[in-house]
Amino acid sequence: MLTENFTNEAIDISTLPKFEQVVLKKLHPDYWKIMCINLVLFFLPLAIGIALLLFFVDDFRPYIALMISAYAAIIVISTLLFYISFKKRGYALRTKDLIYKSGIISDSTTIVPLNRIQHIELNESIFSRMYHLGSLQIFTAGGHSGHLHISGIPIAEAKSIRDLLLQKLDLIHQPSTDPEALHG
Amino acid sequence: MDRDFSQPQRESALGIIVMAVHTLIQVTKALFFFLVYAFIKMGGAYSRYALLGIGIVVLLCLIYAYFSYLKFTFFLDKDKQEFVVNKGIFNRDQIIIQLDKIQQVNINQSILQKIIGVYGLKIDTAGAKGEEVSIKAIDEVSAYNLKDHLLSSRLATTEHYPEDVAPDKPEGILKISSWTLFKVGLTSNYGKSLALITAFFLYVIQEARHIMEVFDIDKNIVKSTFLSFTTIFSLAIIVAVLLLAFLIFNIGRTFYKHFELEIIRHKHSLLLSSGLIAKKNTLISPNKVQLTRYSQNYFQKRLNMLNMSLKQAHFGGNKKGDEMQGNTLEIVGCNPPERDELLKMILGKVPLKGKTFIPDWRFLNLPVFFKLVLPIAIFLVIAFKIPELKPFIGFALLYFVIGFLMIFISYRKHRLSVNQEFVIKTSGIWDISNEILIPSKIQAITTSQYPWHRSIDVGHLCLHTAAGQISFKYGNFSEIKQLVNYWLYQVESGREDWM
Repeated sequence: MLTENFTNEAIDISTLPKFEQVVLKKLHPDYWKIMCINLVLFFLPLAIGIALLLFFVDDFRPYIALMISAYAAIIVISTLLFYISFKKRGYALRTKDLIYKSGIISDSTTIVPLNRIQHIELNESIFSRMYHLGSLQIFTAGGHSGHLHISGIPIAEAKSIRDLLLQKLDLIHQPSTDPEALHG
Repeated sequence: MDRDFSQPQRESALGIIVMAVHTLIQVTKALFFFLVYAFIKMGGAYSRYALLGIGIVVLLCLIYAYFSYLKFTFFLDKDKQEFVVNKGIFNRDQIIIQLDKIQQVNINQSILQKIIGVYGLKIDTAGAKGEEVSIKAIDEVSAYNLKDHLLSSRLATTEHYPEDVAPDKPEGILKISSWTLFKVGLTSNYGKSLALITAFFLYVIQEARHIMEVFDIDKNIVKSTFLSFTTIFSLAIIVAVLLLAFLIFNIGRTFYKHFELEIIRHKHSLLLSSGLIAKKNTLISPNKVQLTRYSQNYFQKRLNMLNMSLKQAHFGGNKKGDEMQGNTLEIVGCNPPERDELLKMILGKVPLKGKTFIPDWRFLNLPVFFKLVLPIAIFLVIAFKIPELKPFIGFALLYFVIGFLMIFISYRKHRLSVNQEFVIKTSGIWDISNEILIPSKIQAITTSQYPWHRSIDVGHLCLHTAAGQISFKYGNFSEIKQLVNYWLYQVESGREDWM
């Protein structure tokens, strides 16, 4: 098995394809708008709540400046974090695996070999439909942590990725097929 | 007698009793404290109605059991290589299990089943939802017969061990004596026993509160009796008694779970059997084991024994914790030669440690800050405010020294060793564990790095498998990336299936 031809591989180790040098594709710029909409949807009810509280409960009046500035600070910080996270995300499809980079503070890159994919989901929310975007979910047997959720892919591209992956899945799961023939 | 199970058939008719008792126990469990409460509050006058009620419940359970017995049929579809189960009283459920998806077959016997003389058979699959089938009553011959049918139809099992290693005749590999079990009970699984005892006490205290409310017991009386107890015995004796009780509980638990632990090698599978009251037999095929782990602490090293666990795939995080444990098989108290024999069975050969990677010293930073510096700082701030705490400030230093030592040991033991066939991760503070992974079982790989570690080339690695993750932190990031590329190459070019 592997031991027999390992000596060849040992020399080749530096010439193996490098995942870290793959140029990642950024998310579609429109996805930032969707993230902003989500932020607004989260913070608007909060703002209304605070306004009502200040209006009806007299005890909170003295803290009006504090509350508003805290609220503003939270908005600014979370918008900033969302923006950083948006900028950091990227994905790439290689012939034999899928790479997804994300993270807010740390840069984390997850690689899923195509022959380990269990199933694929393509989701479109209301807002992403407005901007013709979709999100792909790739599930492996590696549990929750080993699963990819890539949002903000143009819908046409997402569909073609999905079809491509499904096609490969079918080929891989047919035991009679020679795996090398898939990528010829 | 060799039945082929090709015709739909029912369980053993005695299964009605097993089913009925099973349902009854569940009903009782759910209503236990309600029933106790009801009995006490009602008084003797209504006891006739109460007995009538119990009678009705028992009858309902029997009827329910009878119908589910009637509706529960199973058969083996040889052509499609499927095991089909029909069940459901009101709605028709059909469960179809592909034979090659079966991970393990358990043949168990609870006390009740022992009395009646039947066996229970459970099939664990690796389906996306992790569904499983359990047959509650089947006679012994049929159980083992069915098990053979379920597991024999596997084709590609010779991959990991050549034919000459796998004998046709079942062969015992290891047997754990009671004396060894006693030593195991003394030295391992403290954490699990402690968690169990704590959970039990919390439950008892909660329920005791309910009962005290029912009986109108004054809490102060309980408190004063408790306090007088503590004054009679000094604190030291209480601690000693608690420790002894804990050890006895631990030994008892070990005996209950692993009594007469035995492993027998069949042609394509391993049969593990153990258990004191309820004997549990588990059959697994070695190539479905995703992660192999063995661990040893200082005492165990002295006694020349170690604990092993074999982890199989589990799916869906929403499965209950105890069910997840069902996919981990524990083998306690084996000695190094027995471990090597088992490793050879599962992995094809005894893995040797290859190139070893060690973490950077920055591994210490976060735990030292969050587990030592921050708590001590908070404690000191509070202690200087509250005079009563001042005498205890010395303990902060002790805490720091012990804590730092533990973190430092965990840093020294955190190792990743890689050769072309295996990945071995070593970790631990007291129990030093070795997790062995075959690269073809990798499902996905994650690397991560903090921006401020970019200049010093330090980063983290996480290998996702179907039986959990293996992570290596604060390693040399260039080396990690090279390893990732190598593993990706192995997984993507290899034709070896992970299941």
